[in-house]
Amino acid sequence: MPVPGVPILEGLYPSTLDMYPFEAKEFNRVHQFYENLRENRFTTTKCTKCGTVSFPPRVVCPKCNSDSLEWVDLPTKGKVLRFTEELAGVPLGFESPLIHARIELEDGRKLISRVINCKEGQLKEGDTVKLAVYDVPPMIIEKRGGVMEEAPRVFFAFEPVK
Amino acid sequence: MADRNVCIVGAGMDRWGVREASIIDMAQEAAKDCFDDVPALKKDDIDGLIFASSYCGRSAFQVNAAPVVAERIGIKPTSICTRVDTLCAGGSSGIIMATGLIKAGMADVVMVSGGEKLYTPQRWETYYSEMASIDHDWDGAQGMGLPPPFFSMTAQDHMKRYGTTKEQLSAVSVKNRRNGANNPKAQFQKAVTIEEVINARAVVPPLGLFDCTPITDGCAAVILVSEDKAKELTDRPLVYIRGTAQASLHSMSMNWLGEDLSDWVHLRTAAKKAFERARVSPEDVDVAQTHDCFTISEIIEMEDLGFCRKGEGGAFVESGQNDFGGKVPVNTDGGLLSCGHPFGATGIRQAMEIFFQLQGRAINQAKDAKIGLTHNLSGLNVEHTILIYGREP
Repeated sequence: MPVPGVPILEGLYPSTLDMYPFEAKEFNRVHQFYENLRENRFTTTKCTKCGTVSFPPRVVCPKCNSDSLEWVDLPTKGKVLRFTEELAGVPLGFESPLIHARIELEDGRKLISRVINCKEGQLKEGDTVKLAVYDVPPMIIEKRGGVMEEAPRVFFAFEPVK
Repeated sequence: MADRNVCIVGAGMDRWGVREASIIDMAQEAAKDCFDDVPALKKDDIDGLIFASSYCGRSAFQVNAAPVVAERIGIKPTSICTRVDTLCAGGSSGIIMATGLIKAGMADVVMVSGGEKLYTPQRWETYYSEMASIDHDWDGAQGMGLPPPFFSMTAQDHMKRYGTTKEQLSAVSVKNRRNGANNPKAQFQKAVTIEEVINARAVVPPLGLFDCTPITDGCAAVILVSEDKAKELTDRPLVYIRGTAQASLHSMSMNWLGEDLSDWVHLRTAAKKAFERARVSPEDVDVAQTHDCFTISEIIEMEDLGFCRKGEGGAFVESGQNDFGGKVPVNTDGGLLSCGHPFGATGIRQAMEIFFQLQGRAINQAKDAKIGLTHNLSGLNVEHTILIYGREP
């Protein structure tokens, strides 16, 4: 049954409740990361002065403070070190089974990511997974004259290599 | 001016659990309990308030909550009046900051209060807001806000690397639920058996219902003063803040420093500094409150705080070395597993229990407790906070 909610917010976009990043260039100086995701590239920034590669991407090198950074590609494949499957009580915004894995990328970096396109009981430790880019709801940005513009968005997870 | 020694002189909290009350209501209840604990203190003596809350901006639509709390409880701070947010360690951060201000002579009598109202009218919002509790754009958007999956992987790593068992995890819950059974402020006041813990509904295996701290409404408050002021206010034994540390070495999951998730480099870093600052070693600690958000957490904390060797935490807790009569009684008031965990209040609740232990008036009293320790981890295990208290400065 629908509930009344907050009437004055109907049809509005409360960005403080948005579970995804503000990816649009008007709000984010690392928006190129998401542009690259659309091309199925998993990228980050490398400092052109000291060579430090940082993840998440930066606008200033955390090591030497240079603001001269370039985009570089990270591996899009890795292997599952550990994983969990949540079947019941999955939080709003996610579907069951909600699978998380600690993944070692081919360059040795380790991150925790969702694993999607994967059935319950299918994943095993040591399995190879690859980057999976998916569409998420757009941001709504108010432009001049009160025009509402939809800024499309993508986000990433990993999926089993068939 | 020379540095001053800093003491806790009063502590209190409200009944924790699912409360039919707002955060501002509970802040008043906790403050009353705290004022009642130190009758000689007049409200006009208080010149500082530090209020620790992470969720008040989301679940009460109230940022800059400190002036609201100050007004409602009837104090008029003139040296400091501010809110701090370190998620699970907010209260401990408040105590660290108040200690520094009093030590330096920039404040004299500071209340550190904190708490959360986590049960919102619609339950989804409580869980949804957890995505703000961690590195939002990277780990939050992966749905890692609710910590059980992360600590499940942590437990799996510890079990596979060191042979830690489900029975050993369960021993932590049995001890802490027993300690909470006679704590009138705890969310859960019922002991559980090891069979009940092992056979409980799975949350994220190997973690079951009794391996996880619940969601909790609650507040707590302590009063910190200079040593001279403490002697005016109380005839009880003085309890000093001896040393503190707070280490944050990464935020996003990709930048985790340990060899696996059971290797807590940042905790060892914080512990080394806190013990140096307090001029004591782990063997000197008589009683400790460590962050048992999950049973596996307390096991790893025993190791990386230095109470036992790395990898031996499972055997340490199974043999009762973290219980009364063992090496160091831990979570003597029931810990997070019994009391619950209203983030900003937890460090204050721990300080209160150590304060009572060191004054010899705790409900479950450790024998001759002279050195006490509190510990918190924050968020997706991104920060560790330690305070060491003593009967001597």
